[in-house]
Amino acid sequence: MFLSKLKEAVICFKHLRVTFPYPLKRNPEALPQPDFRGRPRIDAAKCIGCAGCANVCPSRLIIVTDRKAVRRLDFYLERCTYCGRCAEVCPEGAITMTGEFETATDRVHDDMHLSAEVYMGTCQRCGRCFETRTTLDRMMTTGFRT
Amino acid sequence: MTKQDIVQFLKAQLGKGYLRHSEPIPGQVWVEIRPEATVQAVELLHRQTDARYLMSVGSDERELKDRFGVYHLFTFDQQHFFVTLDVSADPKKPRLPSITPVIAGANWSEREIRDLLGVEFDGHPDPRRLVLSDDWPQGVHPLRRDFDYSAKPPSKPENAYPFKDNPPGTTVVAMGPYFPVFEEATYFRLYVEGEQVVDVDYRGFYAHRGIEKLGDASLTYNQIPFIAERICGICGFVHNVSFCKLVEHASGITVPRRADYIRVIMLELERIHSHALWLGVAGHIIGFDTVLMQTWRMREPIMWLCEKLTGNRKTYGMNLIGGVRRDIPKALVPEIRKKIQAMDKEWRAVLDAVKDDTTLRMRLEKVGILTKDQCHEWAAVGPVARAADLPMDARKDHPYCAYDAVDFKVITADSNDVWGRTIVRILETIESFKIVYQSLDALMELPEGDIITEIREDIPAGRIAISAVEAPRGEDVHFLLTGGDNRPYRWRVRCPTYPNLPTVQVMVKGEQVADVPIILGSIDPCFSCTERMEVCDVSTGSIKVYSQEELFNWTKNRRERFETV
Ligand code: SF4
Ligand code: SF4
Repeated sequence: MFLSKLKEAVICFKHLRVTFPYPLKRNPEALPQPDFRGRPRIDAAKCIGCAGCANVCPSRLIIVTDRKAVRRLDFYLERCTYCGRCAEVCPEGAITMTGEFETATDRVHDDMHLSAEVYMGTCQRCGRCFETRTTLDRMMTTGFRT
Repeated sequence: MTKQDIVQFLKAQLGKGYLRHSEPIPGQVWVEIRPEATVQAVELLHRQTDARYLMSVGSDERELKDRFGVYHLFTFDQQHFFVTLDVSADPKKPRLPSITPVIAGANWSEREIRDLLGVEFDGHPDPRRLVLSDDWPQGVHPLRRDFDYSAKPPSKPENAYPFKDNPPGTTVVAMGPYFPVFEEATYFRLYVEGEQVVDVDYRGFYAHRGIEKLGDASLTYNQIPFIAERICGICGFVHNVSFCKLVEHASGITVPRRADYIRVIMLELERIHSHALWLGVAGHIIGFDTVLMQTWRMREPIMWLCEKLTGNRKTYGMNLIGGVRRDIPKALVPEIRKKIQAMDKEWRAVLDAVKDDTTLRMRLEKVGILTKDQCHEWAAVGPVARAADLPMDARKDHPYCAYDAVDFKVITADSNDVWGRTIVRILETIESFKIVYQSLDALMELPEGDIITEIREDIPAGRIAISAVEAPRGEDVHFLLTGGDNRPYRWRVRCPTYPNLPTVQVMVKGEQVADVPIILGSIDPCFSCTERMEVCDVSTGSIKVYSQEELFNWTKNRRERFETV
């Protein structure tokens, strides 16, 4: 009895205080690692508008709308699960997962919204921009046709 | 008994009630029987063989075979196979005999099928609502195929939930829907005499999210792993692996060996941090917060390690059908090993300190007794069953991923109480460390990069599969009937808390009120797992109805007590 209490006390005193007054001070050990999956970012200059990302997103938060020759992608990130599937399938590497994780905001509609507009050429062939790696991710949205 | 013996036995005993059997996937036997023979068949399996009941699944197969299918799943742990009884119910007026009088553990499954699909079970001892909220209209069954997944039927607040009557001379003590020691919303209504619990009633399922319906109606095979992972905040990876295993079983996809080992490593890391979390919470419930502080401190480096390996500290997003998305490079292996060894050392120190702590033992020994027979009756799983000397463990009984190639012990205890469950969990964690070391060795042998199988053909429709994965809380069972449009036709999840939670009513009877939280805690309940199922609309209104009624009853009882004094 006494011995076990002593052992418990040793465990406690060996470590003392380990908490940090976050967010004033951060624990350097707990900062995001290089491959961290934080808030996605899209580089509109690279995007070809294939809609592959919209096709695989498990939260289905990427909305594709076509107006004449312009395709618009809207990311409503308040539903994002940070899975990184969009970045994984994008054939052009237009989406990257950043290290940003402190995304709490009171302006959800502005701060958690991304969009990109892409001017689309006329597709002469199958209408699909690329082949996915497995049939399970097959493209449900066809590419651009006019 | 072998598979053939079981089939022959059922055939001989059931006579005309037996229809046919098949084994589409090795180790998964399907026996079709007539509805009239259900109770007899279940009795034969439950009482005369080594079968252990898993769950019942209902599925609306009116488009496929003009019937409602009900499947009663059993496992033969020592012989490593599953037997499923497949019963058809009439598409217009679905009615079947209830098996709850034979197996108490079937209670919830049948009530769930009744709520969600409208199949009535004759002879069910407790046909109250289970899953649907109180204000859900009668006769609307959301898991039927013709119910749209985003539909919202109008609220009918008048269906108040019929709680059990007070046994004479007892007072009601309400725990929940929000109660400080429960991490999630749940409601236990204790009927007490003085300090002693005489009876208990339960109302839960406040946290429905419609996950199975989404899987059947709207998501695709490669999207579901990510939502499956969100069934539970602690053991999400288990659901994720279970689902991927299901689809891989059903379509015969083989997973690269390296991916198998990576899955094992992540599953065991999850077990380690889950058991550390549990030990802390258990300490907290009984007012021994030092345990909470220290185990959670130890747990943190494991969480950071997970973040480094997968990209996030929880909800790893590692699995896809056919393998994993991220490799663990060989260069990282020494670092992982070092971190695990550090935790290993600290964990052994905790075990050393805690195991002789008489205050702890006095508090936990002979509390919340659940015997071997009661476990069998209620189909309890995981550490609860293992503490009653039932050596069940899906990792050994139905090996998946790379568990056939690693060496570990199934930890059991024979004290049937909360202390036994505590010790089982602590020792099990040490086995997990061993499994991680062995898997890391294997990663050093296998070529880097070979982590996912390319899938070039669609998953065929109409295939059926079961998968069992050992979660920290017990075995997690998934059921799948594949559909045609790149998504399941029916996907059913039975998490380990689902069979374990009803055993609480057995465990708390006769105990002190003060022991109820730790007894409940000893099953490591995960309400969000249990309540994964349906589109549910618990409006604040219906919760308010409860609390008013509660307050009313509470004050009434208090007043009566004062009046009699
Ligand atoms: S990270 Fe996942 S959830 Fe978020 S937008 Fe990309 S695919 Fe969708
Ligand atoms: S997958 Fe990449 S290229 Fe295709 S639409 Fe999305 S961001 Fe653009």
